[in-house]
Amino acid sequence: MSLTIAALDVRLGGRAILSDITLSLERGTLVGLVGPNGAGKTTLLRTLAGSVAPSKGRVDLDGMPLKGISRDTRAKRIAVFFQGAGAGWPMRVRDIVALGRLPHRRAFGGLDGADHAAIDRAMARTDVTRFAERTEPTLSTGERMRVLLARALAVEAEWLLADEPITALDPAHQLDAMTMLRSVALAGTGVVAVLHDITLAARFCDRIVVLGAGRLVADGRPDVALTDRLLADAFGVTACRGAGPDGTAYILPWSRSGPHPEDIDAAFPHQP
Amino acid sequence: MARRSGFAVLTMMLAVSQIWSIAAGMAAPASGGPRHVVSMNLCADELVLRLADRDQVAAVTYLAHDPRGSTVAREAMGIAVTRGLSEEIVALRPDLVVAGAFTTRTTVGLLKRVGFPLLELGVPNDFEGVRAQIRTVAAALGHPARGEAMVADLDARLARVMPAAKPLRALVMRPNAFTVAPGSLGDAVIRAAGLANVAAELGRDRFGQVPLEAAALADADLIVLDEGEPGAPSLADALLHHPVLDALRRQGRTVSIPNRLWTCPGPQVAEVVALLAAAAHQRAAR
Amino acid sequence: MNAPLPPPMRVDRAVVGPRAVVWILGLLVLVLTVASIAVGYAPFDVPAAAGDLIAGRTTLPALVLWELRLPRALLGGLVGFSLGLTGAAMQGYLRNPLADPGILGISSAAALGAVGVFYGGFAASLSLALPLGGIAGAAVAALALNLVAARGGTTLGLILAGVALSSLAGAMTALALNLSPNPYAALEIVFWVMGSLADRSMDHVWLCLPLMALGWGLMLSTARALDALTLGEDTATSLGFHLVSVRLRLVTGAALAVGSGVAVSGAIGFVGLVVPHLVRPMVGARPGASLWPSGLAGAALMLAADLGVRLLAMRPELKLGVVTALVGAPFLIVLLLRERGRGA
Repeated sequence: MSLTIAALDVRLGGRAILSDITLSLERGTLVGLVGPNGAGKTTLLRTLAGSVAPSKGRVDLDGMPLKGISRDTRAKRIAVFFQGAGAGWPMRVRDIVALGRLPHRRAFGGLDGADHAAIDRAMARTDVTRFAERTEPTLSTGERMRVLLARALAVEAEWLLADEPITALDPAHQLDAMTMLRSVALAGTGVVAVLHDITLAARFCDRIVVLGAGRLVADGRPDVALTDRLLADAFGVTACRGAGPDGTAYILPWSRSGPHPEDIDAAFPHQP
Repeated sequence: MARRSGFAVLTMMLAVSQIWSIAAGMAAPASGGPRHVVSMNLCADELVLRLADRDQVAAVTYLAHDPRGSTVAREAMGIAVTRGLSEEIVALRPDLVVAGAFTTRTTVGLLKRVGFPLLELGVPNDFEGVRAQIRTVAAALGHPARGEAMVADLDARLARVMPAAKPLRALVMRPNAFTVAPGSLGDAVIRAAGLANVAAELGRDRFGQVPLEAAALADADLIVLDEGEPGAPSLADALLHHPVLDALRRQGRTVSIPNRLWTCPGPQVAEVVALLAAAAHQRAAR
Repeated sequence: MNAPLPPPMRVDRAVVGPRAVVWILGLLVLVLTVASIAVGYAPFDVPAAAGDLIAGRTTLPALVLWELRLPRALLGGLVGFSLGLTGAAMQGYLRNPLADPGILGISSAAALGAVGVFYGGFAASLSLALPLGGIAGAAVAALALNLVAARGGTTLGLILAGVALSSLAGAMTALALNLSPNPYAALEIVFWVMGSLADRSMDHVWLCLPLMALGWGLMLSTARALDALTLGEDTATSLGFHLVSVRLRLVTGAALAVGSGVAVSGAIGFVGLVVPHLVRPMVGARPGASLWPSGLAGAALMLAADLGVRLLAMRPELKLGVVTALVGAPFLIVLLLRERGRGA
């Protein structure tokens, strides 16, 4: 029931992207993966998905090494959402979401009842049912993102790894998506989402993992992981804190902290 | 840039002046015939090599050396070769150029303008035309007696041929499925052997190619092919080994006559007539 | 849901659609094949000849039917299927609507390989050498293009690479033909560059069929992977597809199918370009679903073009590539204008 990383190092193109990461993730939780630009969040996600091989260290799924698991099994157990260009062809939304059922395909055969039910559920969750018959080029960016998210949900895997799933969405749909991810997590899926919006991450996630310059900087509940000190060091901001009408605490980045005249991209820390 | 175009102009001027000087310096051929004969196509090569003295011939075309395509490959050995280009011909300073009706018009035109003595050979349609052509070439080469001898030889061989009793139907298949058009020399050869040319039946003017379907369905008694193994492969030659022709061969309908005997008019036409007549007798006997 | 239906059938367009399209196209191919057998330069009683053939009587019509009409029709279908299928597979894999074995230079390279083998005399000793030569040429081109595609870049970059490859292969083919000692060789470039099905034999059919079928199998096995690739390589990997295996199967399959086809019929262009576009709206634009229909539509197109060439009664016979180019080149221009309009 766990996805663990031990002493992970990842080098790509000669550069150290991740150094000495140790992480243990459980199903049934919504984990927010945050950090400044270039901290290595997407790479970490891809390593968890198995598409990037670690230079050192290991990734284990339920105690077994990830690379020892067959592609098919891994595809059924881990679903991934990547930002990417949409389909190049004018495919119907329903067909795009149906691609999420490919890991469950049998040798000869189309989609069966269980597949269609899963597709319907996934489309309902991201509120794209009403454009099931529209073709992809006619969708707006936000609508396309929701369709691709539905595709990832349609896999109905044990784990869902999402790379910036709410970036292009309008506020209403952002809230919907976070609520949806939380309910998916509560239903038993392990959800890891790379998020840029600290406010939403702190509000909805059970656990926050902060990366900075390829290292693990903090790991814990939002109020524990996102201290003022950390926000200043890792993100370079100060925050307002308060409580919403229902008593939930919120964090709102407010201004820059300290004398940082240039925007430092964590990927190139030595640039002036 | 200016230097390069200047250089080009200079080269051109040198070339032109050289051509003019050669032309100007040329005397009329001395009695006894020309001493530097250049022939510009295969059929001219064949007649020239057969009728001239070896040291009269300055050059022939590269095709004359191909043993598969030329009937004078042996005679051509050791003779210089051209590809029919103007500069090559001019550099040889010929006192007689023998060309064919289909030789590149621009080359022929240039040679005429420069003033080389030029003999253009046509395409004869019948035996009389062949005889006339042999005589013309022999005369131009200064050996009229040899021409007469060759004609006499041709006639003698033709006389010895016993044409087929029944006019069997013959179809000639050359590379790329070209056949022998009615009214051409090849047609006269077929008739001289006592056969009927199927190409005449095949509807439209069969100047060109015969579709293999038509060739098979024409139900010819004799299909004339070159069945020798090709030297170098080509699709044109491969066509003559198509399975449908192989099947007809197994039915005994084919006769092999080397393709090179059909290419040019000359003394070899008598040989073709003889081969055709012999094949017809064989087939009739079956 | 709706009225009760027998359990195995699904009222779902995504399943019934492509299947119905395949059946219809299959029927069309069958009809055109029969028409192709019935049409030729010398009329004869085809049903009677067929009867003779089956009964084993070696009459002339039966001979013409088996040795000339049947191979021509079969090759039209086989080569057309290969070109259509390869075009659809390449468009799906490269996510590029302009991909086509002709435009990308694969057909020209195959022609070069076949020419090298044929005029070099290797086909005389081993007839299988001819399609193998075509396959080798096609494989080199496909691998080179893969390298270009793998570096990323634009549609335009890939097409230009293909054009360069095509020009180079064409020039080298002309060179090889000129160097051949056989005087007919230099004129035969028209066959290799424009393609023709005239006077082919059953030998040609047996020669190319097994290798082509292998190529088809390899390409068809990537159907689902092509669908997944519409979402990008990372997502396709996460859905369980081994991208290196997919690429290998596609490149090998394309080389086998196109290479053996070109070796027996010359390079016929534009079929692989046009047909996937015609088929795509009927199958919901899924690349994997367009493979079989594109193959069948390619076969239908080739057979129709070949029928046209023979019905035109032009001697010498018009080359097949001319007809496909007359249809395909305007199509390509329209496509390019649409792409520019879309700002691709």
